[in-house]
Amino acid sequence: MSKQIKFDSYREMPIRSMTLDNMLWNKTGSWRNVKPVYDNKVSPCILGCPAGENIQHYIQLVIDKKYKEAWETIIESNPMPAVTGRVCSHPCMGKCTRGDYDEAVNINAIERTLGDMGIDNPGWMRESEKTKKQKVAVIGSGPAGLSAAFYLARAGYSVTLYETEKALGGVLRWGIPEYRLPNCVLDGVIESILNSGPISVKTETVVGKEIKLKELEDNFDAIFIGIGLMESRKLGISNEDCEGVESGLEYLKRVNSGDNLDSSKKTVVIGGGNTAMDVARSALRKGSDVTVVYRRTQAEMPAIASEIEEAEKEGVNFRFLAAPKEIVAEGGKLSKVLFQEMELGEPDESGRRRPVPLEGKTFTMEVGRLFTAIGERADLDGFGPEVDTEWDLIKVNGEFGETNKKNIFAGGDIVTGAASVVEAVAAGRKAAEKIIRVFIGEADPPKQEETEFGIENINVDYFTKSNRTLNPRISVEEAKKGFEEILTGFDEQLLQKEVDRCFSCGVCNYCDNCWVYCPDTAIVRKDDRYEIDYDYCKGCLVCVEECPRSALSIEEEGK
Amino acid sequence: MKKVVMGNHAVSYGVRASEVKVISAYPVTPQTHIVELLSELVANGEIDAKFIKVESEHSAMAACVGASAAGSRTFTATSSQGLLLMTEMLHWAVGARLPIVLTNVNRAIGPPWSIWTDQNDSLSMRDVGWIQIYCESNQETQDAIPQAFKIAEEINLPVMLVLDAFFLSHTYEIVDLLETEQVRDFLPPYNPEIKLDTNDPHSFGNLSGPDYYMELRYMIEEAMNDARGVIKRVGKEFGEHFGRYYDMVVPYRCDDADLILVTSGTVASTTRAVIDEMRDEGIKIGALKIRVLRPFPFKEVSDILCSTKKVAVLDRNISFGNHGVFFQEVKSALYGKTDIPIIGYILGLGGRDVTPKVIREVADKAIKDKNPEPYINWIGVKR
Ligand SMILES: Cc1cc2nc3c(=O)[nH]c(=O)nc-3n(C[C@H](O)[C@H](O)[C@H](O)COP(=O)(O)OP(=O)(O)OC[C@H]3O[C@@H](n4cnc5c(N)ncnc54)[C@H](O)[C@@H]3O)c2cc1C
Ligand code: SF4
Ligand code: SF4
Ligand code: SF4
Repeated sequence: MSKQIKFDSYREMPIRSMTLDNMLWNKTGSWRNVKPVYDNKVSPCILGCPAGENIQHYIQLVIDKKYKEAWETIIESNPMPAVTGRVCSHPCMGKCTRGDYDEAVNINAIERTLGDMGIDNPGWMRESEKTKKQKVAVIGSGPAGLSAAFYLARAGYSVTLYETEKALGGVLRWGIPEYRLPNCVLDGVIESILNSGPISVKTETVVGKEIKLKELEDNFDAIFIGIGLMESRKLGISNEDCEGVESGLEYLKRVNSGDNLDSSKKTVVIGGGNTAMDVARSALRKGSDVTVVYRRTQAEMPAIASEIEEAEKEGVNFRFLAAPKEIVAEGGKLSKVLFQEMELGEPDESGRRRPVPLEGKTFTMEVGRLFTAIGERADLDGFGPEVDTEWDLIKVNGEFGETNKKNIFAGGDIVTGAASVVEAVAAGRKAAEKIIRVFIGEADPPKQEETEFGIENINVDYFTKSNRTLNPRISVEEAKKGFEEILTGFDEQLLQKEVDRCFSCGVCNYCDNCWVYCPDTAIVRKDDRYEIDYDYCKGCLVCVEECPRSALSIEEEGK
Repeated sequence: MKKVVMGNHAVSYGVRASEVKVISAYPVTPQTHIVELLSELVANGEIDAKFIKVESEHSAMAACVGASAAGSRTFTATSSQGLLLMTEMLHWAVGARLPIVLTNVNRAIGPPWSIWTDQNDSLSMRDVGWIQIYCESNQETQDAIPQAFKIAEEINLPVMLVLDAFFLSHTYEIVDLLETEQVRDFLPPYNPEIKLDTNDPHSFGNLSGPDYYMELRYMIEEAMNDARGVIKRVGKEFGEHFGRYYDMVVPYRCDDADLILVTSGTVASTTRAVIDEMRDEGIKIGALKIRVLRPFPFKEVSDILCSTKKVAVLDRNISFGNHGVFFQEVKSALYGKTDIPIIGYILGLGGRDVTPKVIREVADKAIKDKNPEPYINWIGVKR
C-alpha cells in the first residue's frame, strides 16, 4: 500500500496547493497529485488462520454458489476442513473485521459446511500429479502427518505413512470425542486424503522400535516426523499408580474405541485444557458426577472457551485454585484426595499468573475415580540421538520444519508442544512444500507482507448490522445423553445468509461502486477487473472513499 | 524629478520604477491612460518587460496569474466592469498566493452606464483576499506601486491599489517621480522560491480534498493578518527612503474631537478643508482617513475613534441591504469597545460631486443626528 501524504499541521504544508514532486511524467497536465490504484490487501481473517486459508476468497466463491471452487480453495491450505470446521478454536474469527462492527463472521461454520460438502462429493478431489521418483516416509497420522502426506501425494510423490495405532488420525481419532468429531466424518476426511495420491499405510508399526529411523533414512528421500505427544504427564504424588487413578488420554482412547466402562459416581478430572474438558464431558455422558479441579482460575484455562461453556451447561462442576497434594488409597484402591488450595501470584513466562499454594489451606474429597489431564509429553524413544531435541521436543529451524538432518523434517505437537489441529495441519503442509522445493531445487517464497487492516478501513455506511448465524444444535439435555454430535453445519440458506455478512476486507468483489461514483467516468469496467484511465482521472479519490472495503489505495504522483 | 502628471500616468511611472517584468491589461475608461503609457514605455525600452495584449480583462488577469506563477513581477490595471470580468481570476491569484499588483480606478458599475467614480467596483471584491489600499493623491498612486510589490512579495498575496476616477485619474498634480535606481534599494528583485519551471514541473492549484482545503484557507488569513505589520513597516521604510511616510489610517485633528468624520479616497482631502473651517468656528471636529481596507486596521481605527463622542462614516458606495461598506467595517471595529453613536452617510455615488459644501452639510447633520435614525442617511438624493 503506498503512503498517502499526511500533514499534521498547516506549517508542514506548502502555502499553495501543489504537487510535492515533479510532474515531468505527466504529458497532459493535471490537477492530480495523488492517484487511486486497485490494490487488494490480505484480509485479516487470512492472517488469523494458522494454515493461512484464503477465507475471503472462498467466501466470495460461496456467494457465487461456486461451492466446488470454494472447497478447492480451502484444500490448497488445509486438507481437512470438515475437521477444523468442528474442532478449531478459529483464531481467524478473532481477527475478523466484522467483530469490531457487530459479530465476527462464522468462518468456522462456513468451513465446516464446505468440508462436509467435500466428503459428500469425493469427485471434487482432483487427481494427483504424475508420479515422481522420490519417496517420502511420514511418521504419525495425526493432523500434521496427514497434511504432509496429502500435499506430497497430491504432487505425485510416493508416501509411506507409519502409524503405531490400528487406525489413522492421532488425537483426532482417539482423543477428541465423537460428540465433537464423529468417527464417520474423520473416516471420510482420511479416505479423501488417502485417495489424493500414492499413499501406502503401515499401521501398528512403531518407528524407532520396529523400524529404525536409520532404516527409513536409507530407503526414503525424505522423512517427516509428526508423532505428536503420546504420554500423559504424571502428577508426581504418592499412590498415583493405585486403582482408580488413570490418565485422561487413556480414558478417552478407551471411550473412543467403544469400551463400555463402569461409571463410578464421583469423578474428578485434574487439568484445564481440552483434554480435561473432553474427559469430563465423556465421563459425564457415562453417568458420572464430574468435578474438574484446576489450579488457576477459569480465565487461565487453556481449553477452547466454548468447550468450557458447554461443559458447564452440561453440569460439569468446577473447583478452581486447587491442586491434588496427596492420594489416599485403601487396599490399593483410590478413596480420597487431599487438595492444596492455591492463589494467583506473579505472571509466569506464558503470561498467565502462577498458582502459589496457600499455606495451611487444604481440603479432602471422597473420589471414586481420578483422571489426570495436566498435559502430554513426547515419547522420543528411537528418535532422540538421530535428530536434535530440546525440552523433550524435536528441534527445528525456521517455519518449514527442517531438523538438523538435511532430509528429516518435523512438525505438529512434537515440535511445538501441545498446540492445535490447525497448527499441526499448517506445519505438515509447510514441511511438505519445503520437501518438494528441495526435490525440485526451488527457492523459498518471499514472506507474506503483514498489512494492517481494521474496521477503520471499512466504509461501514454500506453495511447494516446483523447477528452471526449460529450452527444449529441439539439441546444440552439431548447432548448429555450420549455421544451424538452436538453442532450441525449450515444448510444452503443459512450458508448464504452468513457469507453475505463478509465485508471482503481489502479485496475487490466487483461491487461497481467505484465505477458508479467516478465523476469523470475515468474507471473502465473490464470482464474481470477495473482499470483507471489516468488521462481522465483527476485524482479526486472519490472511488477510494466510496470503496466499501479499501480495495483501492492511494499513490502519490511522481514517485 | 518633479513633474505635473495625471493620476493615471503617476501609476505608470510607479510601475516603471518598480522594474516590472510582465504587464497584461485591457483598456477600459477611465484607466486606459495607465496601460497606454505603459505600452509606450515598454515599446521604447524604458521598461524592460513583456506587454501581453489580451482580448478581455479575464484573460489579462489569467496572463498575470501565469506570469506571476512563473516568477515574474507582474502588473495590471483595470476599472469597474473590467474588474468584475476578472473576478474568477482574482480569486485564483489569491488561492495561488501570487504577488500581483493591480491598480483599479474606481468607476461606478452599470447599468445605468456610467464612467464616473464610486467605490462599488473594488468593494465588491472586498472578500476575495486581495489587499486593498485606497489612494488619495497622484503622488500616492505612484508611491503605492513599489510599496505594493514589496508587501505582496513578502506575504504572497496580491495587492489592489484603488484611486478615484477623474478626480485622480484625469487630474494633473505635481508628482515627485520615482527613479528606478532609487527604488532598487527599497524594493529588491523578485526571486520566488517556488515557481513554474519547465525543468522541474509541478502541478499548481491542483485538487485538495476536504482534509487540507481549510488549512490552505487558514494560511491565507494568516498572511492577511501578517500584512498589517508588513504594510506599516513598508510605509515607514518608504518614508525613510523617499521622505513620504504612509500608514494604515491617517487621522486629522482627532485628538480632542467630539465628532470624527471617517472617509477614504479623494473625499479625505476635501474633508480636511472642511475640518479646518469648522475648527476655526470653534467646533471640535476631526477626520480619519482609512487608507487600507483589507486587512482592516481594527486597532488603529478603534484606538482613534474610541476617544471621541460621535462618529460619522462617509461612504461613496452602497452595500444594498446593509448600508455603506466603510460604515459596516467601522461598526465592526468598534463593536463592544464604545457606546458612542456611529452614523453612516451615503454620498457621491456615480461621480456626484462631494464638495466642501456637501461635507459641511454632513458634518452639521451629524452633530444633530442620533443613532440609528434614520437607518441610512442619503446625502443629496432628490426625493
Ligand atoms: C483430548 C484432546 C483434545 C483436543 N482438542 C482439540 C481441539 O478441540 N482443537 C484443536 O485445535 N486441538 C485440540 N487438541 C490438540 C490437537 O489435537 C493436537 O495439537 C494435534 O492433534 C497435534 O497433531 P499431531 O499430528 O502433531 O499429533 P497427534 O494428533 O498426536 O498425532 C500423532 C500420531 O503419531 C503416532 N505416533 C506416535 N509415535 C509414533 C511412532 N513412533 N511411530 C509411528 N507412529 C507414531 C500417534 O499414534 C499419533 O497417531 C486436543 C488434544 C487432545 C489430546
Ligand atoms: S482452520 Fe481454524 S483458523 Fe483456519 S479458517 Fe478454519 S477455523 Fe479459522
Ligand atoms: S469480514 Fe470477511 S474478509 Fe473481513 S475479516 Fe471477516 S471473514 Fe475476513
Ligand atoms: S468499490 Fe467495489 S468494485 Fe470498486 S474497488 Fe471497491 S470493491 Fe472493487
